Amino acid sequence: MSLLSVRDLQAGYGKVQVLFNGHIEVEPGELVGIVGPNGAGKSTFLGALAGSVRPSSGSIEFQGTSIQGKKPEDIVRLGLALVPEGRAIFTDLTVNENLLLGLTGRRDKSGSAKALAEVTELFPVLTSHRGHQAGLLSGGQQQQLAIARALVSEPKLLMLDEPSLGLSPTVIQDVFGVLNKIKDLGTAIIVVEQRAHLIMSIASRTLVMREGQVRATLSRADAKDETKLAAAYFGTGEDRE
Amino acid sequence: MIQTILDALSYGGLYGLAALGIGLVFGVMRLVNFAHGELIAIGAYLMIITIDLGLPLSIIIAVAGTAALALLMELSVFKRLRLAGPSVLLIASFGVSIFLQRSYEIIFGALPRSGQIAQWMSGVIEFGETTITRGSILTIILALALLAGMRFLVENTTLGLQIRAASSDFQTARLLGVRSNYVIGAAFVFSGVLAAAVAFVLVTQRGSVDPLFGVNITILALVGTVIGGLGSLQGAALGGFAVGATISLLNSFLGNYRVYTYTWLFILVIIVLLIRPSGLISNKAFKERA
Repeated sequence: MSLLSVRDLQAGYGKVQVLFNGHIEVEPGELVGIVGPNGAGKSTFLGALAGSVRPSSGSIEFQGTSIQGKKPEDIVRLGLALVPEGRAIFTDLTVNENLLLGLTGRRDKSGSAKALAEVTELFPVLTSHRGHQAGLLSGGQQQQLAIARALVSEPKLLMLDEPSLGLSPTVIQDVFGVLNKIKDLGTAIIVVEQRAHLIMSIASRTLVMREGQVRATLSRADAKDETKLAAAYFGTGEDRE
Repeated sequence: MIQTILDALSYGGLYGLAALGIGLVFGVMRLVNFAHGELIAIGAYLMIITIDLGLPLSIIIAVAGTAALALLMELSVFKRLRLAGPSVLLIASFGVSIFLQRSYEIIFGALPRSGQIAQWMSGVIEFGETTITRGSILTIILALALLAGMRFLVENTTLGLQIRAASSDFQTARLLGVRSNYVIGAAFVFSGVLAAAVAFVLVTQRGSVDPLFGVNITILALVGTVIGGLGSLQGAALGGFAVGATISLLNSFLGNYRVYTYTWLFILVIIVLLIRPSGLISNKAFKERA
Protein backbone atom coordinates (compact mmCIF):
# COMPACT_ATOMS: atom_id res chain seq x y z
CA MET A 1 0.00 0.00 0.00
CA SER A 2 1.28 3.44 -0.89
CA LEU A 3 1.91 5.95 1.84
CA LEU A 4 0.20 8.65 -0.21
CA SER A 5 -2.14 8.06 -3.11
CA VAL A 6 -3.71 11.02 -4.89
CA ARG A 7 -6.07 10.86 -7.86
CA ASP A 8 -7.73 13.45 -10.12
CA LEU A 9 -7.15 16.27 -7.67
CA GLN A 10 -8.60 19.66 -8.56
CA ALA A 11 -8.13 22.82 -6.52
CA GLY A 12 -7.98 26.60 -6.78
CA TYR A 13 -8.67 29.89 -5.08
CA GLY A 14 -12.25 31.13 -5.17
CA LYS A 15 -13.44 30.85 -8.74
CA VAL A 16 -9.95 30.54 -10.18
CA GLN A 17 -9.02 26.93 -10.68
CA VAL A 18 -5.27 26.33 -10.66
CA LEU A 19 -4.91 22.59 -10.30
CA PHE A 20 -6.77 20.56 -12.93
CA ASN A 21 -5.30 17.12 -12.58
CA GLY A 22 -3.00 16.33 -9.68
CA HIS A 23 -2.02 12.73 -9.09
CA ILE A 24 0.88 11.19 -7.24
CA GLU A 25 1.86 7.98 -5.48
CA VAL A 26 4.50 8.01 -2.76
CA GLU A 27 5.92 4.88 -1.13
CA PRO A 28 7.24 4.92 2.45
CA GLY A 29 10.80 6.32 2.62
CA GLU A 30 10.77 7.49 -0.99
CA LEU A 31 11.92 10.90 -2.28
CA VAL A 32 9.75 12.20 -5.11
CA GLY A 33 10.37 15.44 -7.02
CA ILE A 34 7.87 17.76 -8.70
CA VAL A 35 9.18 20.20 -11.31
CA GLY A 36 7.57 22.57 -13.77
CA PRO A 37 7.50 26.20 -14.86
CA ASN A 38 6.04 29.07 -12.83
CA GLY A 39 2.28 28.91 -12.49
CA ALA A 40 2.14 25.18 -13.19
CA GLY A 41 0.18 24.61 -9.99
CA LYS A 42 2.94 22.98 -7.95
CA SER A 43 2.42 25.01 -4.78
CA THR A 44 -1.36 24.65 -5.06
CA PHE A 45 -0.88 20.89 -5.34
CA LEU A 46 1.17 20.76 -2.12
CA GLY A 47 -1.24 23.18 -0.43
CA ALA A 48 -4.17 20.91 -1.30
CA LEU A 49 -2.34 17.91 0.17
CA ALA A 50 -1.51 19.81 3.39
CA GLY A 51 -5.05 21.18 3.73
CA SER A 52 -4.26 24.87 3.32
CA VAL A 53 -5.97 24.90 -0.09
CA ARG A 54 -9.35 23.20 -0.25
CA PRO A 55 -9.62 20.67 -3.09
CA SER A 56 -12.79 20.91 -5.18
CA SER A 57 -12.69 17.28 -6.27
CA GLY A 58 -10.50 14.21 -6.38
CA SER A 59 -9.21 11.85 -3.72
CA ILE A 60 -6.27 12.02 -1.31
CA GLU A 61 -5.48 8.89 0.64
CA PHE A 62 -2.77 8.99 3.27
CA GLN A 63 -1.90 5.67 4.90
CA GLY A 64 -5.08 4.20 3.52
CA THR A 65 -7.50 6.81 4.89
CA SER A 66 -8.97 9.79 3.08
CA ILE A 67 -7.67 13.18 4.24
CA GLN A 68 -9.54 15.13 1.56
CA GLY A 69 -11.11 18.26 3.07
CA LYS A 70 -9.44 17.91 6.48
CA LYS A 71 -8.01 20.98 8.22
CA PRO A 72 -4.24 21.60 8.04
CA GLU A 73 -3.91 21.30 11.83
CA ASP A 74 -5.43 17.81 11.66
CA ILE A 75 -3.44 16.68 8.63
CA VAL A 76 -0.10 17.51 10.26
CA ARG A 77 -1.12 15.39 13.26
CA LEU A 78 -1.62 12.45 10.91
CA GLY A 79 2.03 12.75 9.84
CA LEU A 80 2.00 14.89 6.70
CA ALA A 81 4.00 18.11 7.13
CA LEU A 82 4.58 20.97 4.69
CA VAL A 83 7.49 23.42 4.62
CA PRO A 84 5.87 26.27 2.68
CA GLU A 85 7.47 28.33 -0.05
CA GLY A 86 9.59 31.20 1.24
CA ARG A 87 10.25 29.21 4.44
CA ALA A 88 7.56 31.07 6.45
CA ILE A 89 9.45 31.00 9.70
CA PHE A 90 8.27 33.32 12.46
CA THR A 91 10.95 35.99 12.21
CA ASP A 92 10.03 37.80 15.42
CA LEU A 93 10.08 34.61 17.49
CA THR A 94 13.28 32.93 18.63
CA VAL A 95 14.74 29.87 16.94
CA ASN A 96 13.71 27.82 19.96
CA GLU A 97 10.13 29.14 19.89
CA ASN A 98 9.87 28.25 16.21
CA LEU A 99 10.95 24.70 17.03
CA LEU A 100 8.52 24.49 19.97
CA LEU A 101 5.69 25.49 17.62
CA GLY A 102 6.65 22.54 15.44
CA LEU A 103 5.89 20.26 18.39
CA THR A 104 2.23 21.36 18.24
CA GLY A 105 1.72 18.97 15.34
CA ARG A 106 2.81 15.90 17.33
CA ARG A 107 0.25 13.37 18.30
CA ASP A 108 2.46 11.81 20.92
CA LYS A 109 3.72 14.61 23.18
CA SER A 110 5.89 12.30 25.30
CA GLY A 111 8.58 12.02 22.63
CA SER A 112 8.95 15.80 22.24
CA ALA A 113 12.32 16.18 23.98
CA LYS A 114 13.82 13.28 22.02
CA ALA A 115 12.53 14.65 18.71
CA LEU A 116 14.00 18.08 19.47
CA ALA A 117 17.36 16.51 20.31
CA GLU A 118 17.41 14.43 17.14
CA VAL A 119 16.54 17.37 14.94
CA THR A 120 19.14 19.68 16.44
CA GLU A 121 21.68 16.91 15.87
CA LEU A 122 20.73 17.03 12.20
CA PHE A 123 21.04 20.83 12.14
CA PRO A 124 23.83 21.65 14.62
CA VAL A 125 23.87 25.31 13.57
CA LEU A 126 20.44 25.80 15.17
CA THR A 127 21.76 24.85 18.61
CA SER A 128 24.16 27.78 18.77
CA HIS A 129 21.42 30.20 17.67
CA ARG A 130 18.68 28.79 19.87
CA GLY A 131 17.88 31.96 21.80
CA HIS A 132 18.28 34.31 18.83
CA GLN A 133 15.48 35.92 16.91
CA ALA A 134 14.84 33.74 13.87
CA GLY A 135 14.73 36.79 11.59
CA LEU A 136 18.44 37.32 12.26
CA LEU A 137 19.43 33.98 10.73
CA SER A 138 20.83 33.78 7.21
CA GLY A 139 18.62 32.51 4.41
CA GLY A 140 20.18 29.06 4.54
CA GLN A 141 19.83 28.86 8.30
CA GLN A 142 16.19 29.95 8.05
CA GLN A 143 15.54 27.16 5.55
CA GLN A 144 17.18 24.68 7.90
CA LEU A 145 15.01 26.00 10.73
CA ALA A 146 11.87 25.63 8.60
CA ILE A 147 12.77 22.01 7.82
CA ALA A 148 13.72 21.30 11.43
CA ARG A 149 10.44 22.82 12.64
CA ALA A 150 8.48 20.50 10.38
CA LEU A 151 10.60 17.50 11.37
CA VAL A 152 10.01 17.75 15.13
CA SER A 153 6.44 16.62 14.50
CA GLU A 154 8.07 13.41 13.15
CA PRO A 155 6.11 13.31 9.90
CA LYS A 156 5.91 10.18 7.81
CA LEU A 157 5.83 12.39 4.73
CA LEU A 158 7.64 15.73 4.54
CA MET A 159 6.73 18.12 1.73
CA LEU A 160 8.96 21.04 0.76
CA ASP A 161 7.99 23.88 -1.56
CA GLU A 162 11.08 25.23 -3.37
CA PRO A 163 13.61 24.83 -0.58
CA SER A 164 16.37 26.27 -2.81
CA LEU A 165 14.60 29.60 -3.31
CA GLY A 166 16.96 32.50 -2.65
CA LEU A 167 19.85 30.34 -1.47
CA SER A 168 23.43 30.29 -2.77
CA PRO A 169 24.62 27.17 -4.62
CA THR A 170 26.75 25.85 -1.76
CA VAL A 171 23.93 26.32 0.73
CA ILE A 172 21.56 24.54 -1.66
CA GLN A 173 23.99 21.59 -1.72
CA ASP A 174 23.89 21.50 2.09
CA VAL A 175 20.09 21.60 2.20
CA PHE A 176 19.76 18.80 -0.33
CA GLY A 177 22.38 16.80 1.54
CA VAL A 178 20.21 17.04 4.62
CA LEU A 179 17.12 15.97 2.64
CA ASN A 180 19.00 12.84 1.59
CA LYS A 181 19.84 12.15 5.22
CA ILE A 182 16.21 12.62 6.28
CA LYS A 183 15.13 10.19 3.59
CA ASP A 184 17.69 7.65 4.77
CA LEU A 185 16.23 7.93 8.26
CA GLY A 186 12.97 6.63 6.78
CA THR A 187 10.88 9.75 6.11
CA ALA A 188 9.25 9.99 2.70
CA ILE A 189 9.74 13.36 0.99
CA ILE A 190 8.08 15.35 -1.79
CA VAL A 191 10.14 18.28 -3.08
CA VAL A 192 8.80 20.92 -5.43
CA GLU A 193 11.66 22.60 -7.32
CA GLN A 194 12.29 24.95 -10.20
CA ARG A 195 15.80 23.56 -10.51
CA ALA A 196 14.91 20.36 -12.32
CA HIS A 197 18.41 18.84 -12.53
CA LEU A 198 19.07 19.34 -8.86
CA ILE A 199 16.03 17.45 -7.69
CA MET A 200 16.15 14.76 -10.36
CA SER A 201 19.61 13.76 -9.23
CA ILE A 202 18.35 12.72 -5.79
CA ALA A 203 14.70 11.80 -6.43
CA SER A 204 13.68 8.27 -7.35
CA ARG A 205 10.97 9.71 -9.60
CA THR A 206 10.15 13.24 -10.71
CA LEU A 207 6.75 14.47 -11.80
CA VAL A 208 6.58 17.22 -14.39
CA MET A 209 3.69 19.67 -14.03
CA ARG A 210 2.44 22.15 -16.57
CA GLU A 211 -0.74 24.23 -16.73
CA GLY A 212 -2.22 22.66 -13.63
CA GLN A 213 -1.66 19.06 -14.65
CA VAL A 214 0.86 16.34 -13.98
CA ARG A 215 2.08 15.71 -17.53
CA ALA A 216 4.87 13.18 -17.14
CA THR A 217 6.82 11.08 -14.68
CA LEU A 218 10.55 10.87 -15.24
CA SER A 219 12.89 8.29 -13.78
CA ARG A 220 16.36 9.13 -12.55
CA ALA A 221 17.79 7.86 -15.84
CA ASP A 222 15.58 10.29 -17.74
CA ALA A 223 17.20 13.13 -15.86
CA LYS A 224 20.36 12.70 -17.92
CA ASP A 225 18.36 12.80 -21.15
CA GLU A 226 18.04 16.50 -21.99
CA THR A 227 15.55 16.03 -24.80
CA LYS A 228 13.19 13.96 -22.69
CA LEU A 229 13.29 16.52 -19.90
CA ALA A 230 12.82 19.47 -22.24
CA ALA A 231 9.92 17.75 -23.98
CA ALA A 232 8.13 17.10 -20.70
CA TYR A 233 8.92 20.54 -19.33
CA PHE A 234 7.91 22.65 -22.29
CA GLY A 235 5.38 20.33 -23.86
CA THR A 236 7.17 19.92 -27.18
CA GLY A 237 6.53 16.42 -28.35
CA GLU A 238 4.60 13.55 -26.78
CA ASP A 239 4.43 14.01 -23.11
CA ARG A 240 1.14 12.33 -22.39
CA GLU A 241 1.55 9.47 -20.03
CA MET B 1 0.33 67.78 40.29
CA ILE B 2 0.76 64.28 41.72
CA GLN B 3 -2.96 63.70 41.24
CA THR B 4 -2.68 64.84 37.61
CA ILE B 5 0.08 62.31 36.96
CA LEU B 6 -1.79 59.52 38.77
CA ASP B 7 -4.94 60.31 36.82
CA ALA B 8 -3.01 60.16 33.57
CA LEU B 9 -1.46 56.82 34.54
CA SER B 10 -4.77 55.31 35.63
CA TYR B 11 -6.60 56.54 32.52
CA GLY B 12 -3.74 55.26 30.42
CA GLY B 13 -3.86 51.88 32.14
CA LEU B 14 -7.62 51.64 31.68
CA TYR B 15 -7.47 52.47 27.97
CA GLY B 16 -4.47 50.18 27.61
CA LEU B 17 -6.57 47.28 28.93
CA ALA B 18 -9.39 48.11 26.51
CA ALA B 19 -6.98 48.38 23.58
CA LEU B 20 -5.22 45.12 24.48
CA GLY B 21 -8.58 43.34 24.49
CA ILE B 22 -9.27 44.63 20.99
CA GLY B 23 -5.70 43.96 19.86
CA LEU B 24 -5.76 40.32 20.98
CA VAL B 25 -8.72 39.49 18.76
CA PHE B 26 -7.41 41.61 15.89
CA GLY B 27 -4.09 39.78 16.10
CA VAL B 28 -5.40 36.27 15.62
CA MET B 29 -8.22 36.94 13.17
CA ARG B 30 -7.80 40.47 11.73
CA LEU B 31 -11.16 41.42 13.17
CA VAL B 32 -11.63 45.00 14.39
CA ASN B 33 -14.28 44.13 16.95
CA PHE B 34 -16.56 47.12 17.45
CA ALA B 35 -18.73 44.99 19.72
CA HIS B 36 -15.96 45.11 22.35
CA GLY B 37 -17.85 48.06 23.86
CA GLU B 38 -20.89 45.87 24.42
CA LEU B 39 -18.67 43.37 26.26
CA ILE B 40 -17.65 46.20 28.58
CA ALA B 41 -21.33 47.15 28.97
CA ILE B 42 -22.46 43.63 29.90
CA GLY B 43 -19.69 43.46 32.48
CA ALA B 44 -21.01 46.63 34.08
CA TYR B 45 -24.64 45.47 33.93
CA LEU B 46 -23.79 42.13 35.54
CA MET B 47 -21.88 43.87 38.32
CA ILE B 48 -24.68 46.30 39.10
CA ILE B 49 -27.34 43.59 39.02
CA THR B 50 -25.45 41.15 41.23
CA ILE B 51 -23.76 43.57 43.63
CA ASP B 52 -26.12 42.54 46.44
CA LEU B 53 -24.43 39.14 46.44
CA GLY B 54 -21.23 40.85 47.60
CA LEU B 55 -18.41 42.36 45.59
CA PRO B 56 -16.21 39.27 45.11
CA LEU B 57 -19.06 37.12 43.80
CA SER B 58 -20.32 40.01 41.69
CA ILE B 59 -16.89 40.39 40.06
CA ILE B 60 -16.64 36.67 39.39
CA ILE B 61 -20.08 36.65 37.75
CA ALA B 62 -19.21 39.72 35.66
CA VAL B 63 -15.89 38.29 34.46
CA ALA B 64 -17.38 34.88 33.66
CA GLY B 65 -20.44 36.39 31.97
CA THR B 66 -18.40 38.80 29.85
CA ALA B 67 -15.95 36.10 28.78
CA ALA B 68 -18.91 33.84 27.94
CA LEU B 69 -20.54 36.53 25.80
CA ALA B 70 -17.23 37.12 23.99
CA LEU B 71 -16.96 33.42 23.21
CA LEU B 72 -20.61 33.32 22.16
CA MET B 73 -19.95 36.16 19.67
CA GLU B 74 -17.15 34.15 18.12
CA LEU B 75 -19.08 30.88 17.99
CA SER B 76 -22.36 32.30 16.73
CA VAL B 77 -21.14 34.96 14.27
CA PHE B 78 -17.45 35.31 13.55
CA LYS B 79 -16.67 31.60 13.29
CA ARG B 80 -19.09 31.36 10.39
CA LEU B 81 -17.27 34.18 8.60
CA ARG B 82 -13.77 32.66 8.79
CA LEU B 83 -13.27 32.68 5.06
CA ALA B 84 -14.63 36.19 4.59
CA GLY B 85 -12.33 39.20 4.35
CA PRO B 86 -11.56 41.71 7.12
CA SER B 87 -14.13 44.21 5.80
CA VAL B 88 -16.94 41.66 6.09
CA LEU B 89 -15.82 40.87 9.64
CA LEU B 90 -15.77 44.58 10.47
CA ILE B 91 -19.33 45.11 9.21
CA ALA B 92 -20.46 41.98 11.05
CA SER B 93 -19.00 43.37 14.27
CA PHE B 94 -21.02 46.58 13.76
CA GLY B 95 -24.07 44.35 13.45
CA VAL B 96 -23.25 42.47 16.64
CA SER B 97 -22.62 45.77 18.41
CA ILE B 98 -25.96 47.31 17.43
CA PHE B 99 -27.82 44.05 18.10
CA LEU B 100 -26.42 43.93 21.63
CA GLN B 101 -27.10 47.63 22.32
CA ARG B 102 -30.76 47.15 21.36
CA SER B 103 -30.94 43.92 23.36
CA TYR B 104 -29.64 45.72 26.45
CA GLU B 105 -32.29 48.38 25.88
CA ILE B 106 -35.02 45.74 25.82
CA ILE B 107 -33.65 43.70 28.71
CA PHE B 108 -32.29 46.40 31.04
CA GLY B 109 -34.11 49.51 29.78
CA ALA B 110 -32.84 52.51 27.87
CA LEU B 111 -32.30 54.63 30.98
CA PRO B 112 -29.12 54.32 33.03
CA ARG B 113 -29.18 51.71 35.80
CA SER B 114 -27.29 52.92 38.81
CA GLY B 115 -25.68 51.00 41.62
CA GLN B 116 -23.11 51.51 44.31
CA ILE B 117 -20.07 49.44 43.48
CA ALA B 118 -16.94 49.45 45.61
CA GLN B 119 -17.51 52.91 47.02
CA TRP B 120 -14.18 52.74 48.85
CA MET B 121 -12.63 53.28 45.39
CA SER B 122 -13.81 56.90 45.39
CA GLY B 123 -12.23 57.81 48.74
CA VAL B 124 -9.02 59.78 49.10
CA ILE B 125 -5.69 59.04 50.72
CA GLU B 126 -3.92 61.92 52.43
CA PHE B 127 -0.15 62.37 52.40
CA GLY B 128 0.34 65.45 54.54
CA GLU B 129 -0.59 68.33 52.26
CA THR B 130 -1.48 66.34 49.18
CA THR B 131 -4.50 64.11 48.75
CA ILE B 132 -4.91 61.53 46.04
CA THR B 133 -7.92 59.46 45.07
CA ARG B 134 -7.91 55.77 45.91
CA GLY B 135 -9.50 54.95 42.59
CA SER B 136 -6.54 56.15 40.55
CA ILE B 137 -4.05 54.13 42.62
CA LEU B 138 -6.18 50.98 42.49
CA THR B 139 -6.78 51.37 38.76
CA ILE B 140 -3.04 51.63 38.17
CA ILE B 141 -2.43 48.52 40.27
CA LEU B 142 -5.20 46.60 38.53
CA ALA B 143 -3.96 47.63 35.08
CA LEU B 144 -0.35 46.74 35.91
CA ALA B 145 -1.38 43.36 37.33
CA LEU B 146 -3.51 42.47 34.32
CA LEU B 147 -0.93 43.70 31.80
CA ALA B 148 1.77 41.72 33.60
CA GLY B 149 -0.50 38.68 33.72
CA MET B 150 -1.29 38.92 30.01
CA ARG B 151 2.38 39.43 29.25
CA PHE B 152 3.28 36.29 31.18
CA LEU B 153 0.55 34.34 29.44
CA VAL B 154 1.58 35.48 25.97
CA GLU B 155 5.34 35.21 26.50
CA ASN B 156 5.68 32.15 28.71
CA THR B 157 2.94 29.66 27.93
CA THR B 158 2.34 27.31 25.02
CA LEU B 159 -1.04 28.92 24.33
CA GLY B 160 0.63 32.34 24.31
CA LEU B 161 3.26 31.12 21.85
CA GLN B 162 0.49 29.80 19.62
CA ILE B 163 -1.36 33.12 19.85
CA ARG B 164 1.80 35.02 18.88
CA ALA B 165 2.44 32.67 15.96
CA ALA B 166 -1.17 32.86 14.79
CA SER B 167 -1.05 36.65 15.02
CA SER B 168 1.94 36.95 12.72
CA ASP B 169 1.13 34.19 10.20
CA PHE B 170 -2.10 32.31 10.77
CA GLN B 171 -1.74 29.96 7.80
CA THR B 172 1.73 28.74 8.73
CA ALA B 173 0.69 28.34 12.36
CA ARG B 174 -2.13 26.01 11.24
CA LEU B 175 0.27 24.03 9.06
CA LEU B 176 2.32 23.39 12.19
CA GLY B 177 -0.74 22.10 14.02
CA VAL B 178 -2.00 25.18 15.86
CA ARG B 179 -5.76 24.67 16.20
CA SER B 180 -7.39 27.77 14.74
CA ASN B 181 -10.69 27.55 16.63
CA TYR B 182 -8.94 26.99 19.95
CA VAL B 183 -6.57 29.94 19.57
CA ILE B 184 -9.28 32.32 18.33
CA GLY B 185 -11.69 31.18 21.06
CA ALA B 186 -8.99 31.78 23.68
CA ALA B 187 -8.32 35.28 22.31
CA PHE B 188 -12.03 36.11 22.61
CA VAL B 189 -12.19 34.80 26.18
CA PHE B 190 -9.17 36.89 27.21
CA SER B 191 -10.62 39.96 25.52
CA GLY B 192 -13.81 39.34 27.51
CA VAL B 193 -11.86 39.15 30.78
CA LEU B 194 -10.08 42.41 29.95
CA ALA B 195 -13.42 44.02 29.05
CA ALA B 196 -14.81 43.02 32.44
CA ALA B 197 -11.83 44.67 34.17
CA VAL B 198 -12.46 47.87 32.22
CA ALA B 199 -16.15 47.63 33.14
CA PHE B 200 -15.29 47.34 36.83
CA VAL B 201 -13.19 50.52 36.83
CA LEU B 202 -15.66 52.50 34.73
CA VAL B 203 -18.69 51.49 36.75
CA THR B 204 -17.05 52.42 40.04
CA GLN B 205 -16.26 55.84 38.53
CA ARG B 206 -19.66 56.50 36.98
CA GLY B 207 -21.96 54.60 39.29
CA SER B 208 -24.35 53.73 36.47
CA VAL B 209 -24.56 51.83 33.22
CA ASP B 210 -26.59 52.39 30.04
CA PRO B 211 -26.74 50.50 26.71
CA LEU B 212 -24.03 52.72 25.15
CA PHE B 213 -21.77 52.44 28.21
CA GLY B 214 -18.76 50.97 26.37
CA VAL B 215 -18.97 52.75 23.02
CA ASN B 216 -16.83 55.78 23.80
CA ILE B 217 -13.88 53.96 25.35
CA THR B 218 -13.96 51.33 22.59
CA ILE B 219 -13.64 53.91 19.81
CA LEU B 220 -10.79 55.63 21.62
CA ALA B 221 -9.09 52.32 22.40
CA LEU B 222 -9.35 51.42 18.69
CA VAL B 223 -7.54 54.66 17.92
CA GLY B 224 -4.97 53.49 20.45
CA THR B 225 -4.43 50.15 18.72
CA VAL B 226 -3.90 51.98 15.42
CA ILE B 227 -1.37 54.37 16.96
CA GLY B 228 0.38 51.52 18.71
CA GLY B 229 0.66 49.48 15.54
CA LEU B 230 -1.91 46.98 14.35
CA GLY B 231 -0.88 43.40 14.83
CA SER B 232 1.37 44.01 17.83
CA LEU B 233 0.01 43.27 21.31
CA GLN B 234 2.60 45.46 23.00
CA GLY B 235 1.76 48.19 20.53
CA ALA B 236 -1.97 47.91 21.28
CA ALA B 237 -1.46 48.22 25.04
CA LEU B 238 1.02 51.06 24.60
CA GLY B 239 -1.17 52.90 22.09
CA GLY B 240 -4.21 52.56 24.36
CA PHE B 241 -2.13 53.85 27.26
CA ALA B 242 -0.95 56.83 25.21
CA VAL B 243 -4.49 57.77 24.20
CA GLY B 244 -5.88 57.42 27.74
CA ALA B 245 -3.03 59.33 29.36
CA THR B 246 -3.26 62.08 26.73
CA ILE B 247 -7.00 62.52 27.28
CA SER B 248 -6.48 62.77 31.01
CA LEU B 249 -3.61 65.28 30.69
CA LEU B 250 -5.50 67.39 28.15
CA ASN B 251 -8.51 67.46 30.48
CA SER B 252 -6.30 68.75 33.30
CA PHE B 253 -4.36 71.30 31.29
CA LEU B 254 -7.21 72.68 29.19
CA GLY B 255 -9.28 73.46 32.26
CA ASN B 256 -12.31 75.41 31.08
CA TYR B 257 -11.42 74.64 27.47
CA ARG B 258 -11.68 70.90 27.97
CA VAL B 259 -14.40 70.69 25.31
CA TYR B 260 -11.42 70.79 22.91
CA THR B 261 -9.80 67.71 24.46
CA TYR B 262 -10.76 65.42 21.60
CA THR B 263 -9.81 68.01 18.99
CA TRP B 264 -6.29 68.14 20.40
CA LEU B 265 -6.20 64.38 20.84
CA PHE B 266 -6.96 63.74 17.19
CA ILE B 267 -4.53 66.45 16.06
CA LEU B 268 -1.86 64.53 17.99
CA VAL B 269 -3.06 61.24 16.51
CA ILE B 270 -2.76 62.66 12.99
CA ILE B 271 0.75 63.92 13.72
CA VAL B 272 1.82 60.53 15.10
CA LEU B 273 0.42 58.72 12.06
CA LEU B 274 2.08 61.18 9.67
CA ILE B 275 5.43 60.51 11.29
CA ARG B 276 4.92 56.75 11.82
CA PRO B 277 2.17 55.54 9.48
CA SER B 278 2.44 51.95 10.69
CA GLY B 279 2.19 52.91 14.35
CA LEU B 280 4.60 53.28 17.24
CA ILE B 281 5.55 49.60 17.26
CA SER B 282 5.31 48.26 13.77
CA ASN B 283 5.14 44.52 13.51
CA LYS B 284 7.43 43.48 10.69
CA ALA B 285 5.99 40.01 10.66
CA PHE B 286 2.47 41.41 10.34
CA LYS B 287 0.92 39.98 7.23
CA GLU B 288 -2.12 41.36 5.52
CA ARG B 289 -4.58 38.52 5.13
CA ALA B 290 -6.35 38.12 1.83
